[in-house]
Amino acid sequence: MIRLEGLGKSFGTHKAVVDLNLEVKPGEIFGFLGPNGAGKTTTVKMMTGLLKPTTGRVLVGGQDMVLDPIAAKRAMGLVPDEPFVYPKLTGAEYLRFIGELYGVALPDMKKRVPELLEMFELSPWGGELLESYSHGMRQKLVLAGILLHDPKVLVLDEPMVGLDPKSGRLVKDIFLKLAQRGTAIFMCTHVLEIAEKLCDRIGIMIGGKMIACGTLSELHAQSKKEDKDLESIFLSLTGGAEYSTLLKYL
Amino acid sequence: MLATLLRRRALTFTNTIGAWTGYEWARNAAFGSAGLGLLYGLHFGFWRLLKYLATVELIGVLLTWKLTAMLLLMTLSMVVVSSLLTALTTLFYSYDLKFLLKAPVSLRTVFLDKSLESAFFASWMIGLILVPYVAAIMRVQHLGLAFFAGFLVAVPPFLLLAASFGIGFTLLLLYLFPSSRTRDVVWVFSSLSLTVTYGLVRFAEPEKLIRPDALKVVAEYLNFLQAPTAPYLPSWWLAEALRMAAGGNWSGWAVRVGGLWAAAFAVYAGLVALAGKIYFIGYSGAQEGALRRREHRFTRLPEQFFLKTRTSAALLWKERTTFFRDVKHWSQILLIIGLVFVYLFSIRRLPLDSAELRSLVSFLNVGTAGFVLSALGLRFTFPAISLEGRSWWVLRSAPIDIGGIMREKFLFSAVPIVAISTTLALMTNWILEADRFTSWLSFFALLTVGLAICAMGVGFGALFPNFLVENIHQIESSVGGFVFMAACLFYVGLTIAVLAAPMQMHFAVRFGTGVWHPGVAAFSAGGWLLLNLVAFVVPWQLGRRALENHE
Repeated sequence: MIRLEGLGKSFGTHKAVVDLNLEVKPGEIFGFLGPNGAGKTTTVKMMTGLLKPTTGRVLVGGQDMVLDPIAAKRAMGLVPDEPFVYPKLTGAEYLRFIGELYGVALPDMKKRVPELLEMFELSPWGGELLESYSHGMRQKLVLAGILLHDPKVLVLDEPMVGLDPKSGRLVKDIFLKLAQRGTAIFMCTHVLEIAEKLCDRIGIMIGGKMIACGTLSELHAQSKKEDKDLESIFLSLTGGAEYSTLLKYL
Repeated sequence: MLATLLRRRALTFTNTIGAWTGYEWARNAAFGSAGLGLLYGLHFGFWRLLKYLATVELIGVLLTWKLTAMLLLMTLSMVVVSSLLTALTTLFYSYDLKFLLKAPVSLRTVFLDKSLESAFFASWMIGLILVPYVAAIMRVQHLGLAFFAGFLVAVPPFLLLAASFGIGFTLLLLYLFPSSRTRDVVWVFSSLSLTVTYGLVRFAEPEKLIRPDALKVVAEYLNFLQAPTAPYLPSWWLAEALRMAAGGNWSGWAVRVGGLWAAAFAVYAGLVALAGKIYFIGYSGAQEGALRRREHRFTRLPEQFFLKTRTSAALLWKERTTFFRDVKHWSQILLIIGLVFVYLFSIRRLPLDSAELRSLVSFLNVGTAGFVLSALGLRFTFPAISLEGRSWWVLRSAPIDIGGIMREKFLFSAVPIVAISTTLALMTNWILEADRFTSWLSFFALLTVGLAICAMGVGFGALFPNFLVENIHQIESSVGGFVFMAACLFYVGLTIAVLAAPMQMHFAVRFGTGVWHPGVAAFSAGGWLLLNLVAFVVPWQLGRRALENHE
């Protein structure tokens, strides 16, 4: 469903992403982990057409993101790390706009928009301008926008940031249900617990390179720490285990 | 602490320049040269005017200084209006305010930092235009570099004082009306009053005063020339300081400039003191969104009745909805309506005696109206792409191509700009009773100029996108804005030049001194088509490519 082939991105002499090869199949939830500056957001931006790769290519449902961006983008939904939306539109109007851009039929929008607002508990605010929404409310609205056009591929950059516990649980259940229906989900997160519980496979990136990739048990094997949780695996693979030495600076 | 805040600006500036690639150095050097060329062009125009005034017997020098005082009064009013808008966004809606107000920095320090930024953005470009004028005075009156140094010392407090008026008004407005609805209403009424005042001043026909024949006796005229122009405003103090420096009266200059600096310090200190008490109340109120329920009905969008694709209709609908809900745009619309009325009134009051002269002015109107349209393009069309701001990801990740986004921006600004350009052309031709040939020529020329300015605005806007700006003035006063304005003025100038040949033949036929040369007419038409082809296609394609590769 989504395939990255030799994907790379350089900014001047700095190589942000190097030779990334990956495939996320329909119905799979792939967790993408890595310390800050590892190249996760750059990868997401290339996958969603916000950045052009220096090398390699991104295929979404078989469509090349550079050669046929319209077809590739039509099959994809993005939740960015910062949910900036038009402050002078209302919640319902934002969803209408998204529906129009992605070709959702008007009768479907008429039915689905109130349902989605209700689902994310945004109904009382659906007629208010987005400038009055909190970060979490905007995050939920962006998610609602994605569900409105029901893409085959979901790319999520820190989707849980700003969500209250109830909404967080709802969003997790939504992702699981979408995966059951065959949606491929690529999710960047720093919340290891979510990755551990939700993802079928996990990739760990550092310095622009994927240093480990596989199911949780495969990662255990790669890190040689079979009895530990994802946090320990992550720290041992990314070199964070020596953090205790940093504490001396306190 | 203020030094720390200012140091971060200096570091931002040096780091930005330090990160320029070779291409960026070359590009900015090219644009910088174009900018210098434009300033030289302005200088040349001012020099010709001042040289002419200097030849007027007895009163030449008086006329020069009267003109200077009027120009400075105009500069003052432009900076005040500009600072009103800049202060609102910079002082109350900047992205870094949340960080600054959380930091252990006093409120007055934050105000100082943001208000100085506001004053800078509101005044630097307008202040820069004064340089070629002052250089022209130096050239005509054979003044040395000491005069220019005197000007450089006197200008900063003048611009700061002008910006202080706008900053002070905005500060009080946000304090007195923290509720967003009331504030919006007051903002629009303030703009309306400004427009009406502007109109009233113009309709009072001040030009009568500078025409000797409008005054009864020579003594009255001389009195007018010698009388101060708005003596209580800093523009007059600066004009006086410059006049004294030109005459070698440096002690008189020092008194005026000392007054300017003292007034600037006093007003600014007053503002800072006031800000300590009221700035936070205004800031807090500004953070509250306007709570007003708007029900959205899921019916066909009005735009879908005349646009064939749903995407284009949705983009246009989004643009229209967000534009008219932003009250900052209303004030500009009101000012534009006022500007159009004043423009037409000024045309009507021109002392034109013969039919030929009226037709000639109707043709030259393409140039002046083109200038007005360029300024409107800089305000509305050029920033359209950048104003997508941090929401740009919504469009960029959606299944629409960059060309579609640009076409929608073009359409949205083409409707009002073409309406204004055709109104100016039709009304001017009607007022001047221009002959049929000139009327048609100037009408089509202005129609094309309006459309070309929109195409160039979107093209240059895409070529120089900046999605991280905080207010529209940062977009207008950017390198890209300057290049767009220079390109527009160049295009308007060339339009006049290529259409001058058929106009000349038309007059020659009318006076019986020549005949039509079809070859010349065809050459002129070809030149005009080529010019427009370049204006429509080149910036558009460059912008499209740049936006597709924007990172």
